[in-house]
Amino acid sequence: MKDGSALAPLQKLAWFNLIVFATGATLYLVSVPLIAWHFHKTLVAASVPALGIFGLCGILGISSFICNRRNLDEREELIDRRATMLGMTLFWEVFVLSSVGVWAIFSYIRHQTTVPVGFFPFLVFVGFIVFSVTQSVAILIQYKRSAGDDAL
Amino acid sequence: MMPSEIGQLKNRIRKLRFEHGEITQQQLAERVGVARQTIIALEAGKYAPSLLLAFRLAAAFGVKTEDVFQWKANDGLL
Repeated sequence: MKDGSALAPLQKLAWFNLIVFATGATLYLVSVPLIAWHFHKTLVAASVPALGIFGLCGILGISSFICNRRNLDEREELIDRRATMLGMTLFWEVFVLSSVGVWAIFSYIRHQTTVPVGFFPFLVFVGFIVFSVTQSVAILIQYKRSAGDDAL
Repeated sequence: MMPSEIGQLKNRIRKLRFEHGEITQQQLAERVGVARQTIIALEAGKYAPSLLLAFRLAAAFGVKTEDVFQWKANDGLL
Protein backbone atom coordinates (compact mmCIF):
# COMPACT_ATOMS: atom_id res chain seq x y z
CA MET A 1 0.00 0.00 0.00
CA LYS A 2 2.23 2.75 -1.25
CA ASP A 3 -0.22 5.28 -2.57
CA GLY A 4 -3.48 6.78 -1.44
CA SER A 5 -5.72 4.66 -3.64
CA ALA A 6 -4.31 1.25 -2.65
CA LEU A 7 -6.78 -1.44 -1.73
CA ALA A 8 -6.57 -3.46 1.46
CA PRO A 9 -5.72 -7.15 0.96
CA LEU A 10 -9.26 -8.17 1.94
CA GLN A 11 -10.69 -5.81 -0.69
CA LYS A 12 -8.34 -7.27 -3.30
CA LEU A 13 -9.52 -10.75 -2.32
CA ALA A 14 -13.17 -9.74 -2.68
CA TRP A 15 -12.57 -8.17 -6.11
CA PHE A 16 -10.57 -11.21 -7.21
CA ASN A 17 -13.43 -13.54 -6.22
CA LEU A 18 -16.02 -11.41 -8.00
CA ILE A 19 -13.90 -11.13 -11.16
CA VAL A 20 -13.39 -14.92 -11.24
CA PHE A 21 -17.13 -15.56 -10.85
CA ALA A 22 -18.04 -12.86 -13.38
CA THR A 23 -15.57 -14.35 -15.86
CA GLY A 24 -16.98 -17.83 -15.25
CA ALA A 25 -20.55 -16.59 -15.73
CA THR A 26 -19.65 -14.72 -18.92
CA LEU A 27 -17.83 -17.72 -20.39
CA TYR A 28 -20.77 -19.93 -19.41
CA LEU A 29 -23.27 -17.69 -21.18
CA VAL A 30 -21.05 -17.64 -24.29
CA SER A 31 -20.39 -21.39 -24.25
CA VAL A 32 -24.03 -22.53 -23.99
CA PRO A 33 -25.02 -21.41 -27.52
CA LEU A 34 -21.64 -22.54 -28.86
CA ILE A 35 -22.09 -26.05 -27.44
CA ALA A 36 -25.69 -26.14 -28.66
CA TRP A 37 -24.59 -25.10 -32.16
CA HIS A 38 -21.55 -27.41 -32.35
CA PHE A 39 -23.25 -30.55 -31.02
CA HIS A 40 -26.68 -29.82 -32.53
CA LYS A 41 -28.38 -29.70 -29.11
CA THR A 42 -31.04 -27.45 -27.64
CA LEU A 43 -29.92 -24.58 -25.39
CA VAL A 44 -31.41 -26.37 -22.39
CA ALA A 45 -29.49 -29.56 -23.19
CA ALA A 46 -26.28 -27.57 -23.68
CA SER A 47 -26.66 -25.64 -20.43
CA VAL A 48 -25.68 -28.58 -18.21
CA PRO A 49 -22.32 -29.61 -19.76
CA ALA A 50 -21.44 -25.92 -20.11
CA LEU A 51 -21.39 -25.76 -16.31
CA GLY A 52 -17.93 -27.29 -16.57
CA ILE A 53 -16.73 -23.77 -17.36
CA PHE A 54 -17.11 -23.02 -13.66
CA GLY A 55 -14.14 -25.30 -13.06
CA LEU A 56 -12.40 -21.97 -13.59
CA CYS A 57 -13.42 -21.17 -10.00
CA GLY A 58 -10.62 -23.53 -8.96
CA ILE A 59 -8.24 -20.60 -9.29
CA LEU A 60 -9.93 -19.15 -6.20
CA GLY A 61 -7.50 -21.47 -4.44
CA ILE A 62 -4.71 -18.97 -5.01
CA SER A 63 -6.62 -16.34 -3.00
CA SER A 64 -4.42 -17.03 0.04
CA PHE A 65 -1.56 -15.43 -1.92
CA ILE A 66 -3.66 -12.28 -2.31
CA CYS A 67 -4.81 -12.01 1.29
CA ASN A 68 -3.37 -13.80 4.29
CA ARG A 69 -6.24 -13.75 6.76
CA ARG A 70 -3.79 -14.09 9.68
CA ASN A 71 -2.51 -10.56 8.98
CA LEU A 72 -5.86 -8.80 9.28
CA ASP A 73 -6.26 -6.10 11.90
CA GLU A 74 -9.18 -5.97 14.35
CA ARG A 75 -11.51 -3.98 12.09
CA GLU A 76 -10.76 -6.16 9.08
CA GLU A 77 -11.40 -9.28 11.15
CA LEU A 78 -14.78 -7.84 12.09
CA ILE A 79 -15.58 -7.08 8.45
CA ASP A 80 -14.47 -10.58 7.41
CA ARG A 81 -16.49 -12.23 10.19
CA ARG A 82 -19.67 -10.32 9.33
CA ALA A 83 -19.26 -11.03 5.61
CA THR A 84 -18.70 -14.74 6.27
CA MET A 85 -21.74 -14.89 8.55
CA LEU A 86 -23.89 -13.18 5.91
CA GLY A 87 -22.54 -15.52 3.21
CA MET A 88 -23.28 -18.61 5.32
CA THR A 89 -26.78 -17.34 6.14
CA LEU A 90 -27.64 -16.72 2.51
CA PHE A 91 -26.04 -20.02 1.45
CA TRP A 92 -28.20 -21.91 3.93
CA GLU A 93 -31.40 -20.09 2.89
CA VAL A 94 -30.73 -20.78 -0.79
CA PHE A 95 -29.66 -24.38 -0.13
CA VAL A 96 -32.71 -25.29 1.94
CA LEU A 97 -35.20 -23.43 -0.25
CA SER A 98 -33.69 -24.94 -3.42
CA SER A 99 -33.68 -28.43 -1.91
CA VAL A 100 -37.33 -28.16 -0.93
CA GLY A 101 -38.12 -26.51 -4.26
CA VAL A 102 -36.54 -29.31 -6.27
CA TRP A 103 -38.33 -31.91 -4.19
CA ALA A 104 -41.65 -30.05 -4.58
CA ILE A 105 -41.26 -29.82 -8.36
CA PHE A 106 -40.50 -33.54 -8.69
CA SER A 107 -43.14 -34.55 -6.22
CA TYR A 108 -46.12 -32.36 -7.12
CA ILE A 109 -45.54 -31.44 -10.75
CA ARG A 110 -43.75 -34.47 -12.19
CA HIS A 111 -45.31 -36.92 -9.71
CA GLN A 112 -41.98 -38.60 -9.00
CA THR A 113 -41.18 -39.81 -5.52
CA THR A 114 -37.43 -39.41 -5.82
CA VAL A 115 -35.16 -36.58 -6.82
CA PRO A 116 -32.27 -37.41 -9.21
CA VAL A 117 -29.03 -37.60 -7.25
CA GLY A 118 -27.38 -35.25 -9.74
CA PHE A 119 -29.23 -32.33 -8.22
CA PHE A 120 -27.36 -32.55 -4.91
CA PRO A 121 -23.88 -31.59 -6.19
CA PHE A 122 -25.56 -28.95 -8.32
CA LEU A 123 -27.15 -27.41 -5.21
CA VAL A 124 -23.83 -27.48 -3.36
CA PHE A 125 -22.17 -25.88 -6.38
CA VAL A 126 -24.76 -23.09 -6.52
CA GLY A 127 -24.49 -22.71 -2.75
CA PHE A 128 -20.72 -22.21 -2.99
CA ILE A 129 -21.19 -19.47 -5.55
CA VAL A 130 -23.88 -17.80 -3.45
CA PHE A 131 -21.63 -17.93 -0.38
CA SER A 132 -18.52 -16.57 -2.08
CA VAL A 133 -20.29 -13.82 -4.00
CA THR A 134 -22.28 -12.69 -0.95
CA GLN A 135 -19.14 -12.70 1.21
CA SER A 136 -17.18 -10.68 -1.36
CA VAL A 137 -19.94 -8.12 -1.90
CA ALA A 138 -20.42 -7.76 1.87
CA ILE A 139 -16.68 -7.12 2.33
CA LEU A 140 -16.68 -4.40 -0.34
CA ILE A 141 -19.83 -2.75 1.02
CA GLN A 142 -18.46 -2.67 4.57
CA TYR A 143 -15.20 -1.09 3.41
CA LYS A 144 -17.14 1.45 1.38
CA ARG A 145 -19.48 2.31 4.28
CA SER A 146 -16.67 2.85 6.78
CA ALA A 147 -14.45 4.84 4.43
CA GLY A 148 -14.18 8.49 5.29
CA ASP A 149 -12.10 11.32 3.95
CA ASP A 150 -9.33 9.55 2.12
CA ALA A 151 -6.87 12.44 2.25
CA LEU A 152 -3.37 11.81 3.48
CA MET B 1 -19.05 -0.57 14.70
CA MET B 2 -19.95 2.75 16.23
CA PRO B 3 -22.30 2.33 19.21
CA SER B 4 -23.96 5.71 18.57
CA GLU B 5 -26.95 4.78 20.73
CA ILE B 6 -24.80 4.93 23.87
CA GLY B 7 -22.90 8.07 22.99
CA GLN B 8 -20.49 9.62 20.59
CA LEU B 9 -16.82 8.78 20.36
CA LYS B 10 -14.74 11.58 18.92
CA ASN B 11 -11.03 11.58 18.26
CA ARG B 12 -8.20 13.93 17.46
CA ILE B 13 -6.15 11.53 15.37
CA ARG B 14 -6.02 13.76 12.32
CA LYS B 15 -5.00 16.79 14.38
CA LEU B 16 -2.38 14.77 16.25
CA ARG B 17 -0.96 13.46 12.99
CA PHE B 18 -0.33 16.99 11.81
CA GLU B 19 1.02 18.06 15.18
CA HIS B 20 3.50 15.18 15.07
CA GLY B 21 5.38 16.03 11.90
CA GLU B 22 2.46 15.60 9.51
CA ILE B 23 2.80 11.84 9.47
CA THR B 24 0.65 10.12 6.89
CA GLN B 25 -2.19 7.71 7.59
CA GLN B 26 0.00 4.95 6.19
CA GLN B 27 2.88 5.78 8.53
CA LEU B 28 0.55 5.87 11.54
CA ALA B 29 -1.05 2.60 10.44
CA GLU B 30 2.37 0.94 10.27
CA ARG B 31 3.29 2.27 13.71
CA VAL B 32 0.22 0.82 15.40
CA GLY B 33 -0.01 -2.31 13.25
CA VAL B 34 -3.29 -1.81 11.41
CA ALA B 35 -4.37 -1.23 7.82
CA ARG B 36 -4.46 2.31 6.47
CA GLN B 37 -8.20 1.90 5.86
CA THR B 38 -8.66 1.39 9.59
CA ILE B 39 -7.01 4.76 10.31
CA ILE B 40 -9.29 6.34 7.68
CA ALA B 41 -12.36 4.79 9.33
CA LEU B 42 -11.18 5.93 12.77
CA GLU B 43 -10.62 9.52 11.64
CA ALA B 44 -14.03 9.58 10.00
CA GLY B 45 -15.60 8.37 13.25
CA LYS B 46 -16.94 5.28 11.48
CA TYR B 47 -15.16 2.78 13.70
CA ALA B 48 -14.79 2.52 17.47
CA PRO B 49 -11.44 0.86 18.21
CA SER B 50 -10.71 -1.73 20.85
CA LEU B 51 -9.18 -0.51 24.09
CA LEU B 52 -5.87 -2.02 23.06
CA LEU B 53 -5.79 -0.15 19.74
CA ALA B 54 -6.79 3.08 21.51
CA PHE B 55 -3.80 2.70 23.86
CA ARG B 56 -1.51 1.89 20.94
CA LEU B 57 -2.62 5.02 19.09
CA ALA B 58 -2.06 7.17 22.17
CA ALA B 59 1.39 5.61 22.64
CA ALA B 60 2.24 6.30 19.00
CA PHE B 61 1.64 10.00 19.64
CA GLY B 62 3.16 9.92 23.12
CA VAL B 63 -0.03 11.21 24.75
CA LYS B 64 -2.73 9.86 27.06
CA THR B 65 -5.65 7.92 25.63
CA GLU B 66 -8.09 10.66 26.65
CA ASP B 67 -6.05 13.14 24.61
CA VAL B 68 -6.85 11.08 21.54
CA PHE B 69 -10.41 9.91 22.23
CA GLN B 70 -13.28 11.81 23.82
CA TRP B 71 -16.61 10.25 24.65
CA LYS B 72 -19.84 12.22 24.89
CA ALA B 73 -22.81 10.46 26.41
CA ASN B 74 -26.30 10.70 24.95
CA ASP B 75 -28.95 12.44 27.05
CA GLY B 76 -30.25 10.31 29.89
CA LEU B 77 -27.19 8.06 29.93
CA LEU B 78 -24.06 8.27 32.03
